Amino acid sequence: MKKKRDWSLLQGESDKLKLGLKKMKLTIIFTMLVILSFGNSYSQVKVSLNFEKANIQQVLEAIEDQTDFIFLYKDGILDTEKEYSIEFTNADFEEVLKSVCEKAEVDFEVRSNRQIILTEKVGNNASSVSFQQRTVSGLVTDASGQPLPGVTVIVTGTTIGTVTTPEGEFSLSIPANAQTLQFSFVGMRSQEIPIEGRTTFTVVMEEETIGLDEVVAVGYGVQRKATLTGSVASVESEFLESRPLTNTSQALQGINGIYVNQEGGQPGNDNATIRIRGVGTLNDNNPLVLVDGIEYNLRDVNPNDVESISVLKDAASAAIYGNRAANGVILVTTKKGKEGKMTVEYNGYYGWQEATYLPDAVTNSVDFMTAMNTAYTNEGQPKPYSDAQLEEFRTGTDPDLYPNTDWHAELFSVAPMNEHNVRLSGGTSSVTYSLSLGYLNQEGILIATDAKRYSLNSNVVYKYSDKLQFGAIVNGSYWDRNQPSVSIDDFVLTGVNRPLPIHPAILSDGRYGDTWLVTPGHNLFRNPVAIANESSNRNQSKRAMINLFGEYTLPFDIKYKATYAINNYDIYNHRFIPETYIFNPKQPDVPKKLRFDPPNRSVQRTNNNNIDISFFQTLNWDWRDNSEQHNVNLLLGFSRESFYRSNFNAYVEGFLGNELTELNAGTINKDLGGTSSESKLMSYFGRANYGYLDKYLLEFNFRYDGSSRFAEGHRWGFFPSVSAAWRISEEPWIQNLDAISDLKLRASWGQLGNQNISLYSFVSNININQGGTFNKTIVPGSAVTTLADPNISWEKTTLTNIGLDLTLWSNKLQIIVDAFDKKTTDILARINVPGQVGNLTGPITNLYSMSNKGFEINVTHLNSVGDVNYRVGGNIAFVDNVVDYLAGDEQYTTNRYGNISVIKEGYPVSSWYLYEALGIFQSQEEIDSHAFQHAKTAPGDIKYRDVNDDGKIDIDDMRVMGRSIPKFTYGFNLEADYKGFDFSAFFQGVYDIDVYPWHNYGFGLYNGAGITKDQFENSWTPDNKDAKYPRLFLPARGSQINSKNSTFWLKDASYLRLKNVQLGYTVKSELLSKADISRVRVYVNAQNYLTFSKYKLTDPEKDILKQNIGDYPNSKVLTLGLNVTF
Amino acid sequence: MKKLIYIGISLLFIFQLYSCNESYLDTVSTDSYNEANWWQTENQAISSINGCYSVMRNAQISQYEQLMEDNYTPNSYSHGGDVVLATGAHNPGNVASFRNKWDICYQGIGRTNNVLDNIDRVELSQTLSDRIKGEAHFLRAFYYSTLVNYFGGVPLILESPDFAEHSDLPRNTRQEVINQVLQDLDEAVSLLPVSYTGSNIGRATKGAALALKARILLYESRWADAVNAAKQVMDLNKYSLFPDYRGLFMVENENNSEIIFDVQYLVPEYAHSYDVYLEIQINAAPTLDMINSYLMKDGLPMDESPLYDPENPYENRDPRMHQTCVIPGYMFMGKPAVRSKYFSTGFGFKKYTSFKDNVAASSSSPGTNDINYIILRYADVLLMYAEAKNEDGGPDDSVYEAINEIRARADMPDVPEGLTKEQMREVIRHERRIELVMEGRYYHDIRRWRTAEVVMNANALNIEGDVVQTRSFNPARDYLWPLHEVTIQENPVLEQNPGY
Repeated sequence: MKKKRDWSLLQGESDKLKLGLKKMKLTIIFTMLVILSFGNSYSQVKVSLNFEKANIQQVLEAIEDQTDFIFLYKDGILDTEKEYSIEFTNADFEEVLKSVCEKAEVDFEVRSNRQIILTEKVGNNASSVSFQQRTVSGLVTDASGQPLPGVTVIVTGTTIGTVTTPEGEFSLSIPANAQTLQFSFVGMRSQEIPIEGRTTFTVVMEEETIGLDEVVAVGYGVQRKATLTGSVASVESEFLESRPLTNTSQALQGINGIYVNQEGGQPGNDNATIRIRGVGTLNDNNPLVLVDGIEYNLRDVNPNDVESISVLKDAASAAIYGNRAANGVILVTTKKGKEGKMTVEYNGYYGWQEATYLPDAVTNSVDFMTAMNTAYTNEGQPKPYSDAQLEEFRTGTDPDLYPNTDWHAELFSVAPMNEHNVRLSGGTSSVTYSLSLGYLNQEGILIATDAKRYSLNSNVVYKYSDKLQFGAIVNGSYWDRNQPSVSIDDFVLTGVNRPLPIHPAILSDGRYGDTWLVTPGHNLFRNPVAIANESSNRNQSKRAMINLFGEYTLPFDIKYKATYAINNYDIYNHRFIPETYIFNPKQPDVPKKLRFDPPNRSVQRTNNNNIDISFFQTLNWDWRDNSEQHNVNLLLGFSRESFYRSNFNAYVEGFLGNELTELNAGTINKDLGGTSSESKLMSYFGRANYGYLDKYLLEFNFRYDGSSRFAEGHRWGFFPSVSAAWRISEEPWIQNLDAISDLKLRASWGQLGNQNISLYSFVSNININQGGTFNKTIVPGSAVTTLADPNISWEKTTLTNIGLDLTLWSNKLQIIVDAFDKKTTDILARINVPGQVGNLTGPITNLYSMSNKGFEINVTHLNSVGDVNYRVGGNIAFVDNVVDYLAGDEQYTTNRYGNISVIKEGYPVSSWYLYEALGIFQSQEEIDSHAFQHAKTAPGDIKYRDVNDDGKIDIDDMRVMGRSIPKFTYGFNLEADYKGFDFSAFFQGVYDIDVYPWHNYGFGLYNGAGITKDQFENSWTPDNKDAKYPRLFLPARGSQINSKNSTFWLKDASYLRLKNVQLGYTVKSELLSKADISRVRVYVNAQNYLTFSKYKLTDPEKDILKQNIGDYPNSKVLTLGLNVTF
Repeated sequence: MKKLIYIGISLLFIFQLYSCNESYLDTVSTDSYNEANWWQTENQAISSINGCYSVMRNAQISQYEQLMEDNYTPNSYSHGGDVVLATGAHNPGNVASFRNKWDICYQGIGRTNNVLDNIDRVELSQTLSDRIKGEAHFLRAFYYSTLVNYFGGVPLILESPDFAEHSDLPRNTRQEVINQVLQDLDEAVSLLPVSYTGSNIGRATKGAALALKARILLYESRWADAVNAAKQVMDLNKYSLFPDYRGLFMVENENNSEIIFDVQYLVPEYAHSYDVYLEIQINAAPTLDMINSYLMKDGLPMDESPLYDPENPYENRDPRMHQTCVIPGYMFMGKPAVRSKYFSTGFGFKKYTSFKDNVAASSSSPGTNDINYIILRYADVLLMYAEAKNEDGGPDDSVYEAINEIRARADMPDVPEGLTKEQMREVIRHERRIELVMEGRYYHDIRRWRTAEVVMNANALNIEGDVVQTRSFNPARDYLWPLHEVTIQENPVLEQNPGY
């Protein structure tokens, strides 16, 4: 078989052969890997040549026959007349090549994919170097070899430039001191190519982001997207840049098949919940996150340091992570340096945040008091506020005595934030480096909350020789977060959403106000302004990961890699409870101690210290036969990981004032505690790939995992996967179809595990905190409080996936479709134990199974119209979750009104379990003719369906009535640029999901709390029978007729949200070249500015199963930003 | 072939180091014991029986819920929560206590069963072994008798909790449970010491077992047996009335001669919030009916006594009124009480608060009180004796003696001579109400006397005589609590009580 490829053929008309010139997309991350493989393959090869009087073509053919390499060259550069005498015996390929090219008077360039490009010799005439100007020329093609017209070629740092001809060629006079040429083209990744004395260039431009030859990170390695057999989604750094992401978890929003739910925007505590392919268990559903191969927390990675994120969605990709992979795996790769002169990038923004939604509460005191009195009357109880008090409020003008406080206005404000990142990177042929520093300063929209983050990422790779390289990644972050002493959820629930309009915040004399009215259920006013201003809770978390790795090439091109990482993180929490007084304006001289929890002036300090140590080693062997038909890649590895956790806490009271807040300043009631634990994992893993002609692809993965979380004999598990792909587009019969650029069919099957349960769940522990006191002496006490099942083991997930990748019209349209069936068995759950069995917490046992069947489609279209380049993409993911097996059991969750959600065979997990509300009773006759609900039911109360038709409404009438998992999630984005302007917009949506907010503002007047205007104005009265809400009632202190868990209060929280919209402008480089600046971009970004949802009480993007509105509100963020590259 | 050898060698190199090292995965819990290494030392045995007592600090036994039970009687009114049991609006789903009471009693039962099943595995002195067994029997009897008082017959489980064996057991009859309780108490009486010293003071004693036995027999209307049990307590000659009625409920007088058994507290580790419930939140407030039921100093009701002055209605009353209740205009916490502070009925409770009349104090915070909650005291035993004796054989001298002893401590005149059995019954019932108000007894009394259907179908009034609550009691249903619907859902074999 002839391998020689004539360069002229590629340029010719009939290039149906679709020949090589495939250049791997050298993303920064993999530069090092590629250099390595190239270096090795080339230095290992031995060649023997023996010619007397052969022409150059014969020589090249002979070399090609003996090696994997092919030569590419432009017609006419070789003197085919000239004859050569060459003799080498088992010589190094490099030596041979150098010698041959010298003789043939050509330059050569070895490409990563075993192509050698021959070009005309530069500087044949040594004297030409002295000329001030010289001419360079060349050819620019796309990845498939088609010439690209209109590509901008400029000398970096100057205004000297040109564009390519319709044939893709260019010619340019450049100054002698020019260092690099910059090639740019819309839709393609810009390239900078060092000139290094050459005069001709062959440049292959690569597609931006959806190029088929992209590589993506997979477990313990990288793979070409084109030959990937599993389902892997990825995000590149470009997508993350310039968005005001305060947490890397938010970066995953918009990836197909991933449900990312942002549950509030507390600075420093805004981790989004990530679900990959549905909810697979009731235990930990969080995916495994690895940063540069090490288990890590997304919160502690600065989004600006992220080069790419890969999400391993199916078992084929994830099985290599075994018993931690059941919820999917997220691989984050941080930025690395690349060869070239040092570049400095600055990325910063300044922004303003504002709450997206706040409850629209009644802020008029008289309205509120009227509502209370009405509700008490409706419940047959005496009015809490007398007519005289009401009249006093109606006519009173003193704002201390008769306030109409809008607490949301008191407690929320527009809050600034800013972030600054600087990165230095560069390298030589032996060392590459990247060093970045980041600073985020975010004020909270809620009073007394803020956070700062300082981060550092350093990445140095040293290439000692062709065989040996090693490096270190250091990732550090420090968060400093402040909030009031109460947990933030409690503060929002009871500090923000519980105070009443009748409560004064700060009196006119500056003292904190207290109420003079008695409100049942709310006798104690905990002034939230006082709590926020006077108490404190500071949380400092520090994380440092040191990741050392070395790679050595053994004989036969077997690569041995070892990674050792220490990941240390410490959390220090310091809480101060002050002694503060509030004043009743009617008795202004009687200070009342503000109630805190705990009540006394005290300091609590909690330290958590954690160290994870990972050590893993891999052997990797990549083999391709001489004919390039067969490709085998083998990976084998071994890892050990240990996770050490410890904590210590100390508490003390007896401070002399609010001034000193350290433990040492306290004197009495000292209390302390602490413990430590360790868990370990030991694993063997491997992968085998086989490819035939890059067309038929087969892959096998396994992991054999041992976990200390289970008892001996139940520790080890084997997690295999197989996958295959068929690149139909490589078949000759389809290559005639011009429309199809790529078509691949994928299928995979595999098993994964989930081991994430608390330590020692397999033994019945004796709880030793059951002590007591006799005669004022403390005595120890103990008891079994929880049952245990010694035979527990990990949860098993079996995941089958079928996918199709289709790219049409030269990447103009890309479609990815995946269908999956994910079955989780042996889900660890606590068995409900009836109270009579010692009121014990039930054992955790491998109890039930559930399945997630789903379907994902991702469509991207990109094109250029005139000067406008655009890209639109959309994705939708359906997941159908069903509990398959629960041993005939049902597991209920209860709230104060009884059952609220259920895990039940045949239904989605944690479905809402409710009475069905039929509307509102309008008359006594209607009540009498309906099933018996409650002796005190009256017109205006909610009517429930008597499902079992037994004439009474009781627990047997409850049914599954709503879902807590969306039916589908979707997103779409739009990107466009026009002459330096760029625009992007990203929408996210969730469809068919229900929330059940009761508690403060969920139910009006809950236990003496306030009421929304909506409920106050639209409650049933004899004069307003067509009302949206039942008559006013007391949800906590009444008959509970209307507060039963029913569909009446279930709300559809589907939403569509413009998550992000951005407009940027890149300043033309001519203006900047003098300042040595290569790029300046300014942008304006808006986040969460537009939301469509029926649910208005709070932000619909909330913790769905949470039955109250105690979440830190999400915020809209408007930012102005600047990116500068020097 | 050569390649394979290289691969093989490399693999060996990597895996050899660790593969045989399975023990890498062995970790041990560093801060807890487990069942396998328990029941070995004396300390563990003592710690285990202490764990049986710790259940008593639950709200259902000694804290909020228990303290508030007078709100379901004519004694007291709650202006806020927990009203449905008073107004008859309860059903099997809307009172959390229906479930919590059940669960917490079975928690205590499970722990005592565990101790009784395992205690013999530990080498202990005979004295200590007996004592621990006696305590376990006493506590098991206490928890079962509590269940019976609220629910009637319940599943009788006498072995360590076993999920497979005990999950679906049905209810035993009330009689079966009572028999077991009495048997446990007899065991306890025979095993327990009469008294303790030092840091054991507060553990169950022989007297406590006898007094609890007397109470159960009284509740069962087994008068002669009740007399006998109460008499045995009196004959121990260990207990006597504490001279100061108000001081009985003060921290400084804890473990005094009147206390037979209580639930013990200590700030800050084991604290409660009685001050907050009673003084700040006024979760319980005396009704007008309660205040009016205090006799005049001369032993006559206020509408019969010449001492009564409508202008000064709170003068010349049974001294226990001012020792128990806060009344506007009278000193409390160092200043005269004001109506507006006692917003609920106008009255408040002093009993079980830590405050004194003439000592200024600011309001308290939660978790800062540690007065022990009294389960059994000698006055109760005297009243039990008097009631049982009167029911059994009529008002003999010993009945008068018992009741007059209590009156004397309160500085009240003796009960008039020559009462009939029925008259004496009324005197005793009245005395029980006055003496034991806010101690969690009266709710059981009005139910066992079957008077609840009368006194609870009435209005609760405030100091001005305004209705603050309209109450309702359904005699066909409300003498027992329902089993919570979730309790039945957990074990569907359980039968619901009638009427629910």
